[in-house]
Amino acid sequence: MDALLTPWRFARLITRPAEAGARLAADTPDTPAVLLRLVIPLSLIPPLFAYIGGATFGWRLGGGEPLYISPAGLTLISLAYFIALVAGFLSTAVVARWMADTYGARLEFGSHLSFVVLVGMPVILASLGHLVPHVFINLLVMIPALIWSLYLLYRCLPAALGTSQERGMLMASSLVAYLLVASVSLLGITVVLWSGGIGPNLGV
Amino acid sequence: MVAWLTGFAIFWSLVGMAAGIYVAAELVWPTLDFGREWLSYGRLRNLHTNVVIFGFGIAALMGTAFYSVQRTCHVPLFAPGLAWFCALAWQVVILLGGLSLLAGWNGGKEYAELEWPFDIAITVIWVSFAVVFFGTIAKRRIQQIYVSNWFYGALIIVIAMLHIVNSQAIPVAWSKSYSLFAGAQDAVVQWWYGHNAVGFLLTGGFLGMLYYFLPKHADRPIWSYRLSIVAFWAFTYSYIWAGPHHLHYNAVPEWVQSLGMVMSLVLLAPSWATLVNGVMTVAGAWEKLRTDPALKFIVLSLAFYGLATFEGPMMAIKSVNVVSHFTDWTIGHVHSGALGWNALITFGTFYFLLPRLVGAELYSHSLANWHFWLALAGVMLYVLAMWGAGVSQGLLWLSLDEIGELRYSFKDIMASMAPYYALRLVAGCSFFIGAVLMAYNLWMTAKGRSVVRATPPPVVGEAW
Repeated sequence: MDALLTPWRFARLITRPAEAGARLAADTPDTPAVLLRLVIPLSLIPPLFAYIGGATFGWRLGGGEPLYISPAGLTLISLAYFIALVAGFLSTAVVARWMADTYGARLEFGSHLSFVVLVGMPVILASLGHLVPHVFINLLVMIPALIWSLYLLYRCLPAALGTSQERGMLMASSLVAYLLVASVSLLGITVVLWSGGIGPNLGV
Repeated sequence: MVAWLTGFAIFWSLVGMAAGIYVAAELVWPTLDFGREWLSYGRLRNLHTNVVIFGFGIAALMGTAFYSVQRTCHVPLFAPGLAWFCALAWQVVILLGGLSLLAGWNGGKEYAELEWPFDIAITVIWVSFAVVFFGTIAKRRIQQIYVSNWFYGALIIVIAMLHIVNSQAIPVAWSKSYSLFAGAQDAVVQWWYGHNAVGFLLTGGFLGMLYYFLPKHADRPIWSYRLSIVAFWAFTYSYIWAGPHHLHYNAVPEWVQSLGMVMSLVLLAPSWATLVNGVMTVAGAWEKLRTDPALKFIVLSLAFYGLATFEGPMMAIKSVNVVSHFTDWTIGHVHSGALGWNALITFGTFYFLLPRLVGAELYSHSLANWHFWLALAGVMLYVLAMWGAGVSQGLLWLSLDEIGELRYSFKDIMASMAPYYALRLVAGCSFFIGAVLMAYNLWMTAKGRSVVRATPPPVVGEAW
């Protein structure tokens, strides 16, 4: 299993959904190993790209001049981005583990965490788009990545977490509900921080 | 009658969505109105919202309410002639009302645009709806009133109350009236109406549909009946206060805004109680997914119900609302509810209901599966496009430069939104194509068949 726990192997697995679920099911990875070898290194990638893109070109939201944020501000935002990603992987795995009893899935937390990493992998790779810091371009890059992530979620969950196709479909839909709520929460928290004076200079 | 109402609902859903797609295209290519007033955004947008909410939504709710109240009360409808009057007169109001909107008749209140002659007609039909529904409940043969009837009943009573109060106006011509309320009072009354129309029609009414048809789909009782009743009363009590969150930072007292915000947050509890009840009911019925393509729609609708009922209270928080209000984030929120929750649960219900009404198997499971994936893609794309557009707008509108002036002009910001609007157009087309597939699928299912006549089943145990 150790050989599987590398970002590179996971990046290859997302192109082979038919075998990805079975590969994950074949082992029971340790939670600390998944955390140290996958979650933390992968969560560093998007903030790094966002920092480089933001510092070099400034964020274009449309409507005129790009928005430049100071290096200190960018560092803070990138750090927050990293923490949000790690928290996102962990909380989704916690929710999946919590649902496991209801949907007859396997109970090992490490398996849930490695499955969540597999599902999140396309989005991590699509963060390459942050190097071109234009909101709409990033949205365009993220949409196919999100579709692929959703496909992996529905396709691989039954095999990876050891449940039937039908119960896997229900569990995947429940996780979609959680992920939608988590995404909008992140949006809300970000806006509250802006309103509180952290981030761009807004007239509120 | 239920089959007819199902047909009307599908017809209005296609008309309303087509109008929505056209106005979405106008936001990308503004000259698509060809200089004609009736094709302008200002008129077509009202047609879109009215036909979708009142044409599609009410026809679906009226049909499913008439169906389920007979089943749960073990009696035929009270005053069936009056029920036919409701069903048909409602379609006439939607048709003529829609045409009046295209002609420029407009009361100027959002989601209550129809002018006073239509308001009077709606009142008459709605009171007839109440007589039929509560008359059926009054002659029921089972003592307990099943929870779906509580939600349908709340829909009928509260919408009557909201419509009658908010529509009070002084007519000056057939095509024009002025609200009896003025200034900030008018705004408070309007959003008391507007928000509770969302609450008791688009949420409560469709929860009535959920509570009857989900256990039917799943072939097992609701997970916790006690929780459903607690959720009903908590929902009914808390929703009615939340309207002022539409008026944050406006000319209404600060305490009214804060009360609206707090009650909106309280609302999360009863909304999610129903979510838990729905998810746990369906979780035990997983084997039904093998044979029932419609159950997937219900499962997905619950996911979007969860999103919309979380996002709404969050956007009611004043420090979020200061950025989100007047942006496309609100449009995204409304559509995650309208497409993801209302439309999907209705589609799932129709896939279940219509084959049973005509005593046939669904024409094509494969088409239903295509519909599911097109609908999921459509609603996800829509929400993502509007989140991107909305957050960008909020940020750009409020951005200040070094000397404290607004950094960007409104015109430039809106011009930069075209790519998001194009994406929204693609999303709308995906959702619409799915609905067309459903219409064809259900048409082929019902074609050439007559409706099955059912007799009320005997009451098990002691009849009332």
